[in-house]
Amino acid sequence: MVNPSLLIGVPLALAFSIPLFGLISKKIEKYIPVAALLINVVISLTLIPQVLKKPVVVFIGGWNPPFCINLVVGPLGIFLAILISGIGLLVSIYAVSYIKEEPTEKYHILFLLLMVGAIGIVLTGDIFNLFVFFEILCISSYALVAYNKDKEGTEAAMKYLIQGSIGSSFILIGIALLYGGFGTLNMAHIASKITSADPTFLFITLAFFITGFGIEAAIFPLNAWLPDAHSSAPSSISAILSCIAIKTGVYGVARMIFTIFNAGSILTFIAFLGLLTLLIGEMSAFRQDDIKRLLAYSSIGQIGLIVFALGIATSLGVFGALFQIVSHALAKALLFLAAGYMIYRVGSKSITSLNGIGKKMPLTSFAFAIGSFSLIGLPPFAGFISKFSIIYAAIQVKKPIFLAFIAVVLIATIVEAGYFFRIVQNLYFKEGKKLEKVTETSGFILIPLIILTISIIAIGIHPQFITGLLKEAANELLERAGYIGWVLGGT
Amino acid sequence: MNPIYNWMYYIASGGLILIGLYIVLVKTNLIKIVIGLHFVNTGVNILLICIGYIRGRTAPIFSKPGINPTNVVDPVPQALVLTAIVIGVAVLALALSIVIKVYEHNKTLNVSRIKGLKW
Repeated sequence: MVNPSLLIGVPLALAFSIPLFGLISKKIEKYIPVAALLINVVISLTLIPQVLKKPVVVFIGGWNPPFCINLVVGPLGIFLAILISGIGLLVSIYAVSYIKEEPTEKYHILFLLLMVGAIGIVLTGDIFNLFVFFEILCISSYALVAYNKDKEGTEAAMKYLIQGSIGSSFILIGIALLYGGFGTLNMAHIASKITSADPTFLFITLAFFITGFGIEAAIFPLNAWLPDAHSSAPSSISAILSCIAIKTGVYGVARMIFTIFNAGSILTFIAFLGLLTLLIGEMSAFRQDDIKRLLAYSSIGQIGLIVFALGIATSLGVFGALFQIVSHALAKALLFLAAGYMIYRVGSKSITSLNGIGKKMPLTSFAFAIGSFSLIGLPPFAGFISKFSIIYAAIQVKKPIFLAFIAVVLIATIVEAGYFFRIVQNLYFKEGKKLEKVTETSGFILIPLIILTISIIAIGIHPQFITGLLKEAANELLERAGYIGWVLGGT
Repeated sequence: MNPIYNWMYYIASGGLILIGLYIVLVKTNLIKIVIGLHFVNTGVNILLICIGYIRGRTAPIFSKPGINPTNVVDPVPQALVLTAIVIGVAVLALALSIVIKVYEHNKTLNVSRIKGLKW
């Protein structure tokens, strides 16, 4: 059996060995993240059959739970680990030729550390380790946003750092309160004792956690850092932040609400917050001229949709939320990577400067169009199935307020379609200026674009590839007794 | 015992967190904002420590004579705080280095004058 702690150990060890490889040859170092994440994808794929049979719980240090640091590799953890390593692998292939500004070895170290943080967050079973991995993720992403050291990048990183570290402090206050209340840090052990506590105490603690993770997840009204950070970072980092970093915030919120606190009473409020986030994100995206800012606001909207689906809290609703995480990660990675290279060729972030680029860069523009159609939710692509299951789940709740919510979701989808169709129209049907020198992307850049396009279409046509794993993952969130049982051994 | 004596560490930690949040929200100088962030961090660390502290007990070093589980404090929060302090220092160092870069680009530390990025 492969030990799941390798999923964290391999990238961590390789991250700090990058300068050593750099001593041998400057050319090797940029392939180290590709190698590390490829190993991760292989390890996590081989773990799937075992995890679906019985979740793997790793105890570190030979102590029995609840006294040890442990990793809980359930269906949800392994699913998110595959998603993170897979997207990370594609983005690292892209970065091989995209990142040219020195010092590149620092970029690759920070990138791998970001991956370590994200994978650690989804696999750990210990609430303080969750905080430590969360800080690894946050600190490396602050540094990566400022990687180009230009005016926008540093300003965005400063904003992100101020808000992010307030959020981390709130999470730490929540952890301190939980430890004071229950005397344990093991998530399953806290979850098993949670019914014995005072409801007011639990409410205050949960509020600290939701605010802390909500800042990373960019839930309205905590989303002020996201458009700046995503639009000023290098495009590969925008893709990673949008596909992985904010998803870990959503994971944190979901884990706290469903597994630890079992807070069924605030779910409608969470759905409402998600809806507000969706509406604000899509409306702000509609009036943007800067393409990366537009994609960043669209990320806020999609996070809102995911949080709304989590708030439905039926098994179909959570399944829809997880499916939306996959389809948004694939589509948004594709959009940021394609847009990143178009911006690189054209030299401007404005949407009108991309007019007519469809004839010059046919493959990249085609990939961009596929990504935006999937994000809107057009039928043959992956986004259709996730949006359809979310709306179907909301109808099945049979509460009048959810019917109103569905109407808002559909209106937001129309707004989304409005701005994405506008860009695709600009790409193909408008005459552009100064495009003589623009040529098609080549080499390593094309590999991730092609793989992402194919996987969006493949999952859209044949969703059974992932539905089995996603259903198990949704059950893990909804059946907390099962989670407690895996760790503590019998309930 | 009066309540202030019993709760003084909690009051101190809560006060530090609130002072830090106030600085972050109100001050316009970036360096002061970073100091405010560190105030919040320190307040949270003290909160963690005082959760594990029991008045009149000592550190759990069992190699010393006369130390047994009934007269020691809980060591786990102290271990957590060590980690949290290290993380706090990392964030502080990164924040200050970004502040230097922001100053180089804008020639000011006043956040109300740094507005290259807007909604």
